Amino acid sequence: MRVSGWVLDRQPAPQPFDFQALPGELWMLVGAVDSGRRELIYSVAGLSEPQAGRLELFGRDVARLGARERAQLHCRIGVVLEQPGLVPAWSVFENLALLVRYHRLAPGDAVEDYVVDFVESCRLPPAILSRLASELSPLESQWISLLRALVIRPHLLLVSAYLPQETLVAGYSVWTFFAEVVAPMRMAILVDAGPQALPIDAATRLLVMDEGTLLAVGQAGELVRHPDVRVRRHVRFDHA
Amino acid sequence: MSQTLLDRGGRGIERLGQAVIRLWAEALEDLDFLAVVLMSAGSMPRGEWSFLVRHVWQQIYFTAVQQAYLFAVVGVIIGVLTAFPLIVFRIEDPHLLGRIMHIMMYHQFSPILAALFVTGLSGAAITAELGELRANQAIDHLAAMGVNPYSFFVLPRLIGMVVSLPVLVLCLNVGVTVGAAAMLSLYQHVPPTVFFRVCLAGLSYGSLALTGLMVVMQAIHVILVQTSRAFRVGAYVDIPRTLPRAFARSFIGCLIITVLFSLVRYG
Repeated sequence: MRVSGWVLDRQPAPQPFDFQALPGELWMLVGAVDSGRRELIYSVAGLSEPQAGRLELFGRDVARLGARERAQLHCRIGVVLEQPGLVPAWSVFENLALLVRYHRLAPGDAVEDYVVDFVESCRLPPAILSRLASELSPLESQWISLLRALVIRPHLLLVSAYLPQETLVAGYSVWTFFAEVVAPMRMAILVDAGPQALPIDAATRLLVMDEGTLLAVGQAGELVRHPDVRVRRHVRFDHA
Repeated sequence: MSQTLLDRGGRGIERLGQAVIRLWAEALEDLDFLAVVLMSAGSMPRGEWSFLVRHVWQQIYFTAVQQAYLFAVVGVIIGVLTAFPLIVFRIEDPHLLGRIMHIMMYHQFSPILAALFVTGLSGAAITAELGELRANQAIDHLAAMGVNPYSFFVLPRLIGMVVSLPVLVLCLNVGVTVGAAAMLSLYQHVPPTVFFRVCLAGLSYGSLALTGLMVVMQAIHVILVQTSRAFRVGAYVDIPRTLPRAFARSFIGCLIITVLFSLVRYG
């Protein structure tokens, strides 16, 4: 994923910026409230239009694609927004199977096995599949929302939400989940999840945003010595 | 004094003009929404066809199959009520009775009543359901992951309603005819078979086609208004505000459609 000359849709118009995320890289967006983190995620997801700039997804310029081709690109993007966004009247299985069926990721008679295998690989109890989405607790809803984004095995994962602080299985941390399930998928990940979402250590890649523009890009260990005090303020990895 | 009256009159005309412009602008927005929905149908991926079939059937089931008996019962009651003025005015000529049924009920009131019921029952349910999916960001999630919200959420409801509303109008008309026939048989001694025959005899292909077209347009209008208003929901608190507005707008639109078709038919 690459953005160039990207100007977020806000007033006054922010400075344009460039940024690239490669497969296997996890980037965390940090910055104050209303610094443009959410807008960046939404504009890359196609849910809002930037004022200017070019977006390349998987090597293709999105602006030059028709509706059908754009939809084909978007089927390789996993998205987790602030609200869980599950269809309340459907079961968890139907919610997870929707994108698998829609994008024909598995033959019709193999969808159930595909979803069950995936849920088991995430160490979730398969019994959760038969429950209605409206019956889930907030924590369970957050997890199913994340799993729905991952079940399509995306090449790009966009997260604009506070990730669940705990898993549904005792002794299984969110970090372990990312290391075991998400990392092997080798996707580019962009997380706007607040400072407590995932542990930040010296090697964590950060995008520091302020007033709708990108102030600095780099690893947390390098950015702590950045000359701009606004950057240093948001680069903290003491809780890692 | 006269200047004040003139000012008030001017402001009144200005408000009236603004209301007409707003009505026109909203009609154009609905047409724009319809165009987006129809274009989305053209770019549907193969994986969506199974969902389309399933959701169309669900819409038909919840709107037409489940409500058919209700429409027939309501139709009987309305038929009984329709027969009372005819009895009071001692109208006994079967041909005149048949014409009254055609002009009043089959081509005007029954479609309006059916549209009113469907807007209140299925339309409100659709607005509430899609409004919730907007508020909890389900539509945003799916759109960002390659699902076209117009072809996935709106198109099946549109097709389902286009199929369901004519069926429900038919049920209502059957009920109305049976109810009126029973009352006229009881009080005016008009044999039900004669009444049914004159009612059927007045139906021409042309009038049926015009009424069918009117009902289809009403169905399209109801779905467009309900779904487009649902798509504008930003948060849960918007849903209770959206429901009555969408209902009122759908019903007023159906009335205008009926008036326009009546002008074509009788004017």
